[in-house]
Formats: sequence, structure tokens, C-alpha cells
Amino acid sequence: MSTVALTIYVLIWPLLVALVLLVLGRGFAKEWLESRRNGEDLV
Amino acid sequence: MPRVSGAGRGSVASPGRTGIPSAHRWIAETDFESHCARAGHHVDTKEVALNSTELVQFSAVTVVLLLVLFYGGTFIISARIGKKEENADGYMTAGNKIGFGVSAASMTATWIWASSLYASATSGYTYGISGPIHYGLWGALMILFIYPFGKRIRAVAPKAHTLAEVMYARHGASSQLMLAGSNVVGSLISLMSNFIAGGVLISMLSPFSFVQGIVFIAAGVLLYTLWSGFRASVLTDFVQVVAMLGAVVVIIPAVFFITGFPGAFETGASNLSEQQSNFFSSDAFLNQGAPYIAAVLAYAIGNQTIAQRLFAVREDLIKPTFITATVGYGATVIGVGMFGVLALYLGIDPMDGDVNNIIPQMVASYLPTVLVVLFFVMIIGALSSTADSDLAALSSIMMADVYGQNIAGGKKHADPQRMLFVGRATMVLATAAAVGFASMRLNILDLLVFVGALWGALVFPVIASFYWGKVTNKAFTTSVVLALALFLPVRFEWIAMDGAVGYLVDVVSVVGVGVIAGLMAFGFFGLRVAQIVGVVAALIAAPFSIGFLHDYAVLSASLVAYAVSTVACWAMSVNSKEEFDFDVIAQRVGDFDPAEANSDEDPDNDPTLTKDRA
Repeated sequence: MSTVALTIYVLIWPLLVALVLLVLGRGFAKEWLESRRNGEDLV
Repeated sequence: MPRVSGAGRGSVASPGRTGIPSAHRWIAETDFESHCARAGHHVDTKEVALNSTELVQFSAVTVVLLLVLFYGGTFIISARIGKKEENADGYMTAGNKIGFGVSAASMTATWIWASSLYASATSGYTYGISGPIHYGLWGALMILFIYPFGKRIRAVAPKAHTLAEVMYARHGASSQLMLAGSNVVGSLISLMSNFIAGGVLISMLSPFSFVQGIVFIAAGVLLYTLWSGFRASVLTDFVQVVAMLGAVVVIIPAVFFITGFPGAFETGASNLSEQQSNFFSSDAFLNQGAPYIAAVLAYAIGNQTIAQRLFAVREDLIKPTFITATVGYGATVIGVGMFGVLALYLGIDPMDGDVNNIIPQMVASYLPTVLVVLFFVMIIGALSSTADSDLAALSSIMMADVYGQNIAGGKKHADPQRMLFVGRATMVLATAAAVGFASMRLNILDLLVFVGALWGALVFPVIASFYWGKVTNKAFTTSVVLALALFLPVRFEWIAMDGAVGYLVDVVSVVGVGVIAGLMAFGFFGLRVAQIVGVVAALIAAPFSIGFLHDYAVLSASLVAYAVSTVACWAMSVNSKEEFDFDVIAQRVGDFDPAEANSDEDPDNDPTLTKDRA
């Protein structure tokens, strides 16, 4: 593998983790707002 | 923070870094075994760490402050959702209606534990650039492959709390306790391993001792989990996963650039063997990947922490939750495994010759103190989120399976307040037991082997019981016991594997390959495709397996367990006159606490759920 390919190979994982973090954060925020609006417990 | 300086990096001889360890040794470590063994390996590294390299050291005050901030914060979060009178069903499954964000975060946090991060880096250091893939990918697929079965289980038992509880409704007490027993032992071992990992980390980076570290971690986890149980576990998991994943996003690029990459890919290329620099390394696949593939379904079925989340999440959100957790776990664990690959290129010698020290060694050697603090929080978050899930899993099994079904005599007779007492008492006792076992550093390898085999033997009978009305309690228990009886002599090589016996084991193992491939396909594509995939997989594996597979005792023993339990269960059921009515399960398994039952809407009036079950 070339240096460029290896660099992408190593650094793509933290990028993917950041993407998952965004998805989880968005999901959590929506649920939290909804639970506040309905006066229910989040869990 | 001072850096404690010793004899200088590289003073410890490398244990043949570029050589591949013997295949037998590595193939003899199944995932769960190696996880726990890795946690134990760190126990005596403090002295070596201080004498062989420069590590950031925290003062006692700093560590106490970090732990108080971490566990104090999680305690405040759990206290905010705490109720004076908790609901027994909420304590176990949070009312079966958790949303996507919380449940996906919780599944991700639960499946990532400290040992999985260390093990992935070890794989990268040992097998080169494909090593972390062969560790993290198969671990991630454990989450992915269980969700189709989870949807079916949830459809027949929408208000269950544990998988064993559903087995009780389907078959009776013997099948239930067989599954629940394996769940309990697995969770206790996991709890102990996480406490060990915490004790090791604290003793490595601070003046505190290993046992003091264990006690800090155990007390912190119990503090925020005890009152609200699973509800506290899933909510704090979200905060912990944000801390963990956030740390991964920062630390991996930081180490990458601080240690001189991407330039070091060229200057360090000579440190890798041909196999280590090959992305399609056969060494990595055969020694790291293949044994883990065999474990994919076994660990998913044998783990109550997964089942608990299957029952807790809103039924229509099972698929997105588990797919997101698969990606989250895979990216995190493979990403952290890259530390091992970078260390290989840099020619770093692991402290004490133990490759499990690679991650803390690289972080504490190269990163500034603020990022070492972030790393500390990442590991504490990883082990705490798994430990609190283990406590919640253990309490739910004792509440629902032992007290609810077997002592009280079912959901109509169980006292919810007594159930809560049983759950909290279980958490306290389990924590005390895990602290004791961790402090004594018991050798539990044989127990781990047995539990892993039991999970493998349970896979087909458990899955078949949810789809096939002909499976009987007798077929379930007999097939599992028979599989275990044949697993043991193969695994521990009690009989000579020469000649015909070896070939017979190989043939049975090939059937096991077909069973695993077929079951994986069955969840997604149904029976016909599964049968074709199973037969094709066995035919492809046969020429590569017959004649030599029996040399790999653990892999072939696991495959034998799968094959024997499947064939025996099928043979004893196929002519059975029984045709179980699956609607009965939903009547037998449900809420124990009337407050929970009254507060919920009738699920039969929910069109999305009715559609799903249809």
C-alpha cells in the first residue's frame, strides 16, 4: 500500500467515529426534546 | 504532570516483533478468553513501566479528582432520573420503549470494553495492517448478526426482560437455567475483567496500587447503577460513549502526527514482514479472523447485555439501533487498533515484552498530559459502561429468571418490591465477588473455555426454538449436553487425534462451518437461502479443512459443538408431534410490576407493532 493509502486507512476510522457520534447526538437530542415536550422520562 | 524517567525506551528486548507467534497459541485463544486474559496480563506492569520508558504520571490528587469528576458526573445524571419508588420492569428494561439515540449509544458503549481496545492494538502489532480489521470487524458483526433474530424474539415476546425468561415460557426451567447460568458466569467474568483493567490503568499512571484501583472503579460503577438499574446504565452509557468516541476522534490523529506519520510509513516499512504489510494476509485471517467468525453468534446469544437492549429499545427501532452500534463499535475498535500498526512501523518495543501494553505505552510516552487525561477518561468510560451493563444484566436475570419465574411462580405472583430488592442485592453481591476475584487474580481460563463452548452449543437450539414449533425441551437440553460432552475431549485433547478420529473430527467441524454460515444467512434471508449457503460453505471448507483442522484444538472443538448440538436438536425434533403455539409466549412473559403495565399503551393497538409482528 502507498503512503497516501495507508494514511487514509489509518485516519478514516476516527472520521467514521465522528460520523457515528453525530448520528447518536442527533438521535439523543431529538428524543430529549420530545420527552421534554411530552413531559415524559427519557428512559 | 511529571514524566517518570527510567532506563530509556528500547532497553527491553523485543520478543521477536516481526515474527508471527505460533498459530496454535493464537488460534487457541477465542475472543472472550483472550479479552479476559489480556486484562489480567497487565497486572504486574507498573514496575516495568516505570523502569523501561518515560510515562506521564498523575499525582494521587489528580487521579482522585478525575475519578470524582467522572463518577460524580454519572451519579448526578442517574440521580436526576431516579425515582423514590423505582418500577421493577423499568429497572430491567426501561419500559421496552427506549429511543434510537440512547439505545444505539448504549449498545455501542456496552460492547466496547477496555480489553477490546487493547486486543485490537495487539492484533495490529502482531499481524500488521490487516490485524485490527480481523479483530474489530468480527466483533462488530456480533451486533449486526443478532438483530434479525432479535426482531423475531421481540415479536414473540414483546415485554420480556431476558432471553432465558423466554426460554422458560417456550420450554421450561431446564432450558432457561442452562441459558441463564451461562449468562451469569459470562457477565461475572466480564465484570471482573473490567475491574482488573481499571486497576491496572490506575496503578500504571498513578501512585495508587492495583487493588486500590479496582476498589475505586467498582465503587464508582455501583454508586450510579444501584438505585435505577438498567435505566441508569443506558442513560449514563450515552455520556460515556460521547466521552469515549470523542477521545478516539482526537487521540488517533494526535498520535499519528506527533509520532512522525505519514513519513514513518516509508522509514519504518522495513520493520514489517511480508505478511504484516499485506492487507490480505493469510496469517491474520487464519490466526485472528477465523476463530472470531466462529464466535460471532455464540457471544451474541450468550450475552444478556445484548438481549436486554433488544427488549428495551422501541420495537421498530431495533434495526437502526443495531446497525449504528455495529458501525460505532467497528470504527472505534479498528481505529484504536491502528496504534498497534503505528507501533510496528515505528519499531517500538512493548514494555515487558507484552504487546498488550502498546496503547498505554504510546499514549503516555508521546502525548501531552491533557491528551493522556483524555485517554484515561476513554478507558475508564469503556470499562465502566460495560461493567454497569453487566451489573444490570446480572440483576435482571436474578429478578426475572430466578425470583420471578422460579421462586415466585410467574408474573402474577411476583412482588415487584421484593424483585427490586433482589436486583439491588445482586448488584452489591456481584460487585463484591468481582472485586474479590479480580484482587486474587484467579486463573479462570478453564471456566472461560467451558462458558464459550456452552454458548456455541446453545446457538442452534435457542434460535430454532423461536422459529420452529417442533423443538422440544428434551431436544434442547439433550443436544446442548451432548455437544458439551463431545467438545471437551476435542478441546483438551483427551483423545489422540491420529488417523480416523482426526478425520472424523474434521468432518464434523466442516458440518459446523456449514451450520454457522447457514445460521448467519438465515437471520437475513430465511430458510431456503440459509440451507444453500450452509451446504456451499461446508463444501468449500471441506478440502481446506479435512486432514488438518483437528490440529487447531479450540477452533475445531467450537465447530464440533455447533455441529453436534445442531444435528442432535434437529434429529430429536424433526419427527416430533409437538407444534408449539408461539402466541403463548406473550401470555406467559410480560410485566411483573402492575404500575408499568398500566402506564403503557396496549401494544396491540399500535399499528406499527402489529405490522411488525405479522
